[in-house]
Amino acid sequence: MSTVPGQAIFRDVPEPKRLGLGRKVWNSRFDYLYVAPALIVMLIVIGYPIYYTIELSFFNTPASLALSAKQFNGLDNYVTILSSPIFWKVTWQTVVWTVVSTFFAFMLGLGAALALHREFVGRGFLRALLLIPWVVSAVAASYVWKWLYHSDFGAISAMLSGIGLIDRPINFIDNTNTSLYALIVVNVWKEFSFAMIMLMAGLQTVPDTLLRAAQVDGASPWQRFWHVTFPHLSGVSMVTLLLLAVQNFNSFIIPWIMTGGGPAGSSDIWITHIYQLAFGRQRWGVASAYAVILFIVMMVLGYFYVRALTKGDEARAGA
Amino acid sequence: MTMELSAGAAKRRGAGGWRWAGRIFLVLLLGFTVMPMIWMFITSLKTGFAAMQYPPQWWPAEPTLDNYWRLIDPSGTVGRDFLQYFWNSIWVSTLTTILAVVVAVPAAYAFSRFRFPGRTFLFFAVLLRNMFPAVVFLVPLFILMKALGLVNTHGSLILTYLTFGLPLAIWLLKGFYDNIPVQLEQAARIDGATRFQAFFLIVMPLSTPGIIATSIYSFIGAWNEYIYAYTFLTRHDQMTLPVGIQRFFSENATDWPGLMAATFMMSIPVVVLFLVLQRYFVRALTEGAVKH
Repeated sequence: MSTVPGQAIFRDVPEPKRLGLGRKVWNSRFDYLYVAPALIVMLIVIGYPIYYTIELSFFNTPASLALSAKQFNGLDNYVTILSSPIFWKVTWQTVVWTVVSTFFAFMLGLGAALALHREFVGRGFLRALLLIPWVVSAVAASYVWKWLYHSDFGAISAMLSGIGLIDRPINFIDNTNTSLYALIVVNVWKEFSFAMIMLMAGLQTVPDTLLRAAQVDGASPWQRFWHVTFPHLSGVSMVTLLLLAVQNFNSFIIPWIMTGGGPAGSSDIWITHIYQLAFGRQRWGVASAYAVILFIVMMVLGYFYVRALTKGDEARAGA
Repeated sequence: MTMELSAGAAKRRGAGGWRWAGRIFLVLLLGFTVMPMIWMFITSLKTGFAAMQYPPQWWPAEPTLDNYWRLIDPSGTVGRDFLQYFWNSIWVSTLTTILAVVVAVPAAYAFSRFRFPGRTFLFFAVLLRNMFPAVVFLVPLFILMKALGLVNTHGSLILTYLTFGLPLAIWLLKGFYDNIPVQLEQAARIDGATRFQAFFLIVMPLSTPGIIATSIYSFIGAWNEYIYAYTFLTRHDQMTLPVGIQRFFSENATDWPGLMAATFMMSIPVVVLFLVLQRYFVRALTEGAVKH
């Protein structure tokens, strides 16, 4: 197994090969004491809810949440979801929301990381300013953008008319054609700086010598980026893209506060839809079935995430 | 660094154009980033009447701090509520942070140092939690909190905030422990310290920056949390800021300047915390994903 040099000193017994599992567990019994508090808390606040969600998804539940009255109904909740046209509409909107937000957040973040990579006066300050949207609460961000988009007094409409593009205020978020995209802009604003810091850290791992060698060989800035920098960033990029996609897929606050999924469900995504099913319409069983499907989707993404991370570990171990 | 050389070489190959493109891009991006924050502030200085004009006043003709006074004046209803929400937010975030860090420190240390069976599985289970949205846990946790009689109390928030605070804290702290050389503890062990003493006396002090960074993360996460607070709390005196400020919306009229002043006040603590300590902050975040 893993052999950190000198690891044996932390054990009462040096680790011999081919120890039975029971024996290994027993030898590590003191190790578990360190993890136990965390595991107990996680079992209560995470393990139990997951179990309970799966259970509820097979039941017809009363609106009152008097759960003694719940009735087993097999896969009915799942059938209800998959046969509903709303499910497919919301799924499509979730895909658009996730993919478009992730793409633009990543590209803006990459651009910012590259532009900030070179030393210059005020770079640290600029980086800090660019990170502010990421720190500010999504609730604050949602209200400000709602105000910026306001259909009568909105600053964005005023700016657009100031440069002569429009002659009267536009209704960005109360319009079924534009609401989803208006929210995506807010989301990109909120998230791009996450990509920026990840990629800035990644850029520091690109060996200077390689870049200089490429320069001496006459490679253009674009060629240097494409053939030297970019391949070195692939590991970080994978992790960043996955995390962004997961975050976006799981978004709640921005759509909930800005439009509540409306108008006419045009900016509804999975998470807001589940919330509406559970706490708006009290359909706990159906909402739970939704959550279970979401859970499965996340497990698949999680598999790739863990793989991307462990690949980094292997590369590091090899280096 | 061979600054002059590379600068000269770059110029010959026309990289100056790229650099200018980079600068222009940064300026535009900065505008995009800070414009909403500036507009938040400007609006907060307006009277309700001044805010309702089109085209808007880019700078209020008669700027006023009245919106802020209303928020912090405990003799008015708005002020009383706002100060209560503010206090609730500080209380909940602080307690969550302390709990998360105290529980996460030994766990992260064990994940970093010990090789017990099930370690990898448990660690990735912890990590994967951060991929699941709050909504997945919301219905069962709501039922659990109802059963425990914790709905409408801060206890429900502190407990549920651990669902995201704890995994994140473990993950961040493990990154820090990985960077502290094992040899330091070995030396202490040889000098006769127990395993626990080695951890407590040698490793803990060295990981202070990590603990600071993790605490800030945890605090900001709890401070900004909305969905659990929105679901579990209906009593006004219990609400935290993200939920409480919705009061500035009433059915027929929204007090936009008041709302903007409130969101501005709500943003100040986290932005200041972050600006002061961002060096730790950024390092902690990227440590896990990028190692060199």
